Amino acid sequence: MGNNKRKSKASSNGRNSRNGSRSTAARVGAHASSAPERSSSKNGGSQQNLRTYNIPDYRLEHPQFEIRQLTGKDKQGQEHVLYEVSGDLDAPVPPIRDSKYLDQQQAIEIYRYMLLNRKMEIALENLYKQGKVVGGVYFGLGQEACSCASAYALDKDDWFAPMIRNQGSLLVRGFRASDTMMQYMAKADSPTKGRDGTSHFGDIEKRNMVSPISMLGDLIPVMSGVALGARLQGRNIAVMTYIGDGGQSTGVTYEGINFAAVQNLGLVLIVESNLWAYSTPSNMQYRCKDLAERAIGYGIPGVIVDGTDACQVYDATHEAVERARRGQGPTLIEAKMMRMKGHAIHDAASYVPKSMFDFWKKRDPLTRFENYLVKEKKWLSQKDNQALIAEVEIVIEAEREVAVNSPMPTPESAEGGVFCENGCHEIKPKYGIPKVKKGTAAYKETEAAVHLK
Amino acid sequence: MQLTYLEAIRQGIWEEMEHDPTVFCLGEDIGIYGGAFKVTDGFIDRFGTERVIDTPIAESAIVGAAFGASLTGMRPVAEFQFMDFIGCAFNQISNMVAKTHYLWGAPAPLVLRGPSGGYVHGGPFHSQNPEMWFVHNPGLKVICPATPYDAKGLIKAAIRDNNPCIFFEHKYLYRRIKEEVPQNDYVVPIGKARVAREGTDISVITYAAMVHIALEAAAILAKEGIEIEILDLRSLVPIDREAIAQTVKKTNKVIVLHEHSRTGGLAGEIAAIINEEAFDDLDGPIVRIAGLDSAIPFSPPQEHHYLPKLEDLVRESRRLKAY
Ligand SMILES: Cc1ncc(C[n+]2csc(CCOP(=O)(O)OP(=O)(O)O)c2C)c(N)n1
Ligand SMILES: [Mg+2]
Repeated sequence: MGNNKRKSKASSNGRNSRNGSRSTAARVGAHASSAPERSSSKNGGSQQNLRTYNIPDYRLEHPQFEIRQLTGKDKQGQEHVLYEVSGDLDAPVPPIRDSKYLDQQQAIEIYRYMLLNRKMEIALENLYKQGKVVGGVYFGLGQEACSCASAYALDKDDWFAPMIRNQGSLLVRGFRASDTMMQYMAKADSPTKGRDGTSHFGDIEKRNMVSPISMLGDLIPVMSGVALGARLQGRNIAVMTYIGDGGQSTGVTYEGINFAAVQNLGLVLIVESNLWAYSTPSNMQYRCKDLAERAIGYGIPGVIVDGTDACQVYDATHEAVERARRGQGPTLIEAKMMRMKGHAIHDAASYVPKSMFDFWKKRDPLTRFENYLVKEKKWLSQKDNQALIAEVEIVIEAEREVAVNSPMPTPESAEGGVFCENGCHEIKPKYGIPKVKKGTAAYKETEAAVHLK
Repeated sequence: MQLTYLEAIRQGIWEEMEHDPTVFCLGEDIGIYGGAFKVTDGFIDRFGTERVIDTPIAESAIVGAAFGASLTGMRPVAEFQFMDFIGCAFNQISNMVAKTHYLWGAPAPLVLRGPSGGYVHGGPFHSQNPEMWFVHNPGLKVICPATPYDAKGLIKAAIRDNNPCIFFEHKYLYRRIKEEVPQNDYVVPIGKARVAREGTDISVITYAAMVHIALEAAAILAKEGIEIEILDLRSLVPIDREAIAQTVKKTNKVIVLHEHSRTGGLAGEIAAIINEEAFDDLDGPIVRIAGLDSAIPFSPPQEHHYLPKLEDLVRESRRLKAY
């Protein structure tokens, strides 16, 4: 398991580039992490209007699968439609790409968050089986590197908003495992005091987190607005959120990214390209080869990373966050990975061809990162690793205890709080009073309207 | 100073932007062009491109961005070119903005404003009164002024409010009515109705452009000895239950008049409030005068037929008086 001794000079930090141009004419690669280049030279030859774009791809492998709906017969001769996958499902597991930015201690910290993420979800599964959870449980299994390493790239002043599979991101941002557990159990002490479940909570004071809603895509313009608000207060911050390969089909996703693009706002959008959206494979959501290509249409940088490689996720997010803070606008990061469970706990994912699970199981982000830290880099001794795992288990058990012991809310606590009234909140600019420049134009009455008299 | 309804709104926003640096505007064509109806005309020259933002044609993004900015302590004022287009942002308003404070305790001090209403032959997509979509949506304040004085005082109150406010400007009134509006700073409280005319025989409970139809009817009816009292609600959420009860207790007869479609309309809600607050004071059935249960048609004779009219109110008042 883990990293087969290198074939390629994988740990060098070169990167593959995939040229996104559909043109058959010559291609010119623009530089990574800068805005796509537009060439429009007046006196050029036939290629004067040729646009070329470049989608940096940090992956060390490029798995390609095709998933089709096929009609097959069961043992009784009954016809059923099912999914069939084709592609190189036996490809060797690539190594972890060395990070350009992470030092030993940071890498271990990310690893610890991934462990917490994994163990918290195991605890949640057990709480569910014990009948303590109200509703379902959602998992980020196989996506821990994507959640934890991306959130780790943010600073305290940056903002983020999780989606359902980013329970690990919440831990990185300082929420407790018991917060999420209590949400699932609809407890009185949950962050929403029982009013909502899962990772649907927020905190605009300390942790700069916007609560998600169930409707996919709506967070994207909201986060853009957070960046706009901060900019009006004189600060360029990074605002990060996530969207799935299914969720990105919504119109509001387009609206939100486009808004960030034209306003040059520091949106860092992680596209969790995990091959499935509930029971629908990604090739039934979109036609382009990679979702990162969408960036071309928005006029913003798009990059591809292996979502099971914490170093790649961190590096790409870090670069996007830095761009955001420099006021250089949004970045779209497509993290390729696989949803390793069903949509939620009720869903056995029997529609997923088993060979896909087998392929991705070998790419388990936690096992690979552990192997990398312990065996490859020798940054973590076996002993320290065991101690770390034991410590995380103790933390999760303690958190579980806190969560289970929280009471259920009273029925009456359903009431109130619809409006912000009687001074329940003071509204003040988060980063300081906006410095306004005023023009000399004075107030003047308008001319008659031209539209519908 | 004599101001039109539109000018009053414009002045209200302008004043708030002058004194509060956290207030900014965003919307389609609101900058150099000044908005489809010129409500923000000249704002970009005074307040700059950062605070007067021309957006893409993307209503969900406009609302989402306004909401996001409000979470950082800004007070955005977002314009819908026509309130008909607010449906494009419905999810963002209903599921994101409206539920925020109740679910996770974050205040969202933002204003969504724009022109609504008929009588201008705008057709089915430029004449709607979509306020009821939001009345039935806890967490939003819904404001519908009828006069320049109220329009200015209420837009200022909405901008200062710590909650999401949807501000419906009746486009028929924009430049048709004028009145004296104080030049000093004042607000009109959200959630308080106003008696637009005192009367003893029938209460006409209404708001926005319909207040002016009611005033016209009152003049006609007064000549016949029927004195109607006109209650201008001004805000639909919160609704002034007390003022509704009070007028019913005074006149004992009620007509509810509104422009939007009858079924599921505000009149049903008001009838229920009267049931709860003043049932014993009624001396007749609660009468509804409302738009038809259809889309609002384009052609003037059809639009005229669809919308409540002066004749309807005069006729129903006579009938109810005799009841
Ligand atoms: C707008 C909208 N439509 C439908 C749903 C119901 N729904 C919830 S999650 C989901 C699948 C999402 O797939 P994807 O975006 O790929 O995320 P993943 O579950 O793979 O992480 C669906 C259809 C929703 N939440 N929002
Ligand atoms: Mg998916």
